[in-house]
Amino acid sequence: MSDLPAAPFPYDGPEDLRAGIVAALKRVIDPEVAMSIVDVGLVYGVAVDDRELRVTMTMTSAACPVTDVIVDDAWHELARVVPSSIELDIDIVWEPPWTPDRMSERGRRIMGW
Amino acid sequence: MDARSHERARSPHHGLVIAARSLFCVLVPLSLVGAVAGGLLRACTAPPPPTLPSWIAAAALSHAALMICGFLGSVVALERAVAVGRGAAFLAPLASGLGGALLLAGQVRAAAFAIVAAAAVFVVVNIVLVRRQRAAHTRLLLGGAVAWLVGSALYAGGANGPAVLPWWFAFLVATIAAERLEMTRLTGRGLAVERSLRLVMATLFGGAVVASFSAAMGAALFGTALVLLAAWLFLHDIARRTLFTHGLSRYMAVCLLTGYGWLAAAGVGWIGMGAGLPLHDLALHALGLGFVVSMMMAHAPVILPAIARVRLRFGWAFYVPLVALHVSLVVRLGPGLGLGDALVRGLGATLNAASLALFAATIAGAVLAWRLMHAGEEAARAGARRRRPASRLH
Repeated sequence: MSDLPAAPFPYDGPEDLRAGIVAALKRVIDPEVAMSIVDVGLVYGVAVDDRELRVTMTMTSAACPVTDVIVDDAWHELARVVPSSIELDIDIVWEPPWTPDRMSERGRRIMGW
Repeated sequence: MDARSHERARSPHHGLVIAARSLFCVLVPLSLVGAVAGGLLRACTAPPPPTLPSWIAAAALSHAALMICGFLGSVVALERAVAVGRGAAFLAPLASGLGGALLLAGQVRAAAFAIVAAAAVFVVVNIVLVRRQRAAHTRLLLGGAVAWLVGSALYAGGANGPAVLPWWFAFLVATIAAERLEMTRLTGRGLAVERSLRLVMATLFGGAVVASFSAAMGAALFGTALVLLAAWLFLHDIARRTLFTHGLSRYMAVCLLTGYGWLAAAGVGWIGMGAGLPLHDLALHALGLGFVVSMMMAHAPVILPAIARVRLRFGWAFYVPLVALHVSLVVRLGPGLGLGDALVRGLGATLNAASLALFAATIAGAVLAWRLMHAGEEAARAGARRRRPASRLH
C-alpha cells in the first residue's frame, strides 16, 4: 500500500479533529520497537461522526499479550483530544493481516530498510 | 461495539477472574521461590541444617521442573492466555502452577500429571492462535508448546534429565525465538531470515529427539543449535537497532544482546557435555539464567502490565539487577566452573539468587513509583463521565 493519503491512514471525519487524532495515535508507542502504532502501520482507519469515534487497527502478532495495554493507551490518548460527548471505540481486526509494507517512511528508516 | 467486536465473545464471570488472578499471584511466585531455594541447596556444598523444612528438600529434588514448568511455563502460558483472550486458556497456567505447588509438597507423580495437562491445554491454545494468524512465528510457538508436552510426558514417564531437559529448554528457546522472529518482520527482510531460522530450530528439536536415544549426541546437536541461534540473533535481531534508542527500548536491547552472549556460551556448554566434559552447570545455567532470565528481565516492564494489570515506572534502576545477574553468572560459570571450586560456584549461585531478589524488588519499587506519580490522575479518571473501554477479558 504505497498510495498513502494525507493522513497516514484512511480518515473519515471532521477536518478540525484530524490533526489531533493523528497526533494522539502517534503518541501510542510500542516500547519493544520504539515506534508508534502509526509508524508500524497498525492503524487501518479512523471514522468520526458527532456520536462516536471508531479506530480500526490490528497487531503484528496474534500471540501478543500487550494488545489490551496498547488499546488502553490509544483510548487515553484519544480521550485527551476528542470532545467527551463522542464515544470512543477501538476495534482489533485480524483481516487484512498486517504486512511490513504498511510501515511508514519514518518507521522504515528506524528499522534500516 | 467494543474492542471485542471482531473476536468471538468470551467473558468469564468477573468474580471468577478476580479469584483466578489472586491464585496466580500466589502460585507463580511460590514456584519461583521454591525453584530458587531448591537450586541454592543443590549448588551449595555446605551440609544442610538438620531442621530443614521438607519443602526445600522437595524443591531441590524438583528444581528443574519447578523453574521450567512451575514458574516459567506458567508465565508463558499466562501470556498466551491473555493474548488468545479465552477463559479456558487460563487452565494451562493454573495446572502448571498447581503442579509447582504439588512438587513442593513432595507429590511428584501428581505434579507430573498436572504439568502434562497444562502442556496439553497449552498446545490447544497455540493451535487456536495459528488458526487466527498463520505465520512462521505462530507455528514456531506451537512447536515450542509441543516440545513442552513431549518433555513433560517423558518426565511423567520417569525419563531422566538428559532426555527431558532438551525438550523443556527447546520449549523456552523456541518461544523466545518465535517472538524475535516476529520482530524481524519489521526490518522488511522477514522471509529471508525465516528460512535460516527454520534450519536452526530443526537442529534444536532434532537434538531433543536424539537425546532420548543418545544423551551425548543429543547434547552435542542441541548445543550446536544454540550456538547457531545466538549467531542468527546477533545478525538479525532488531535489538541491534533499538540499542541506539533510549529509555525502556534501549534497556530491552541491552538485556537481549547480553542474553544472546550467554546463549552462545550455553551452546558451548552443551557441546562440551556431549563430549564428556564436566560443563553441566555452564550448559544449564548459562541457558536458564543467562539467556532465559535476561529475556525475562527485558520483557517484564512490558509484560507485567499486560498480564498482571499493574503499571510500572521504568528507570535506570532496572539496570542494577541486570548487571548483578551477569556478574553473578561470571562468578559462577567462570572461576566456579573453571577452577572446579564448589565454594565459588556456591557463591555464584547465591549471587544469582540475590540478583533475582533484587529484580523482584526493582519491579515492586517501579509499581509503587508509578502509583505515586499517577495518584492524582487516577482520581481524575475515576471521575470522568466517559465509559472506559471493555478489555477483551474483564
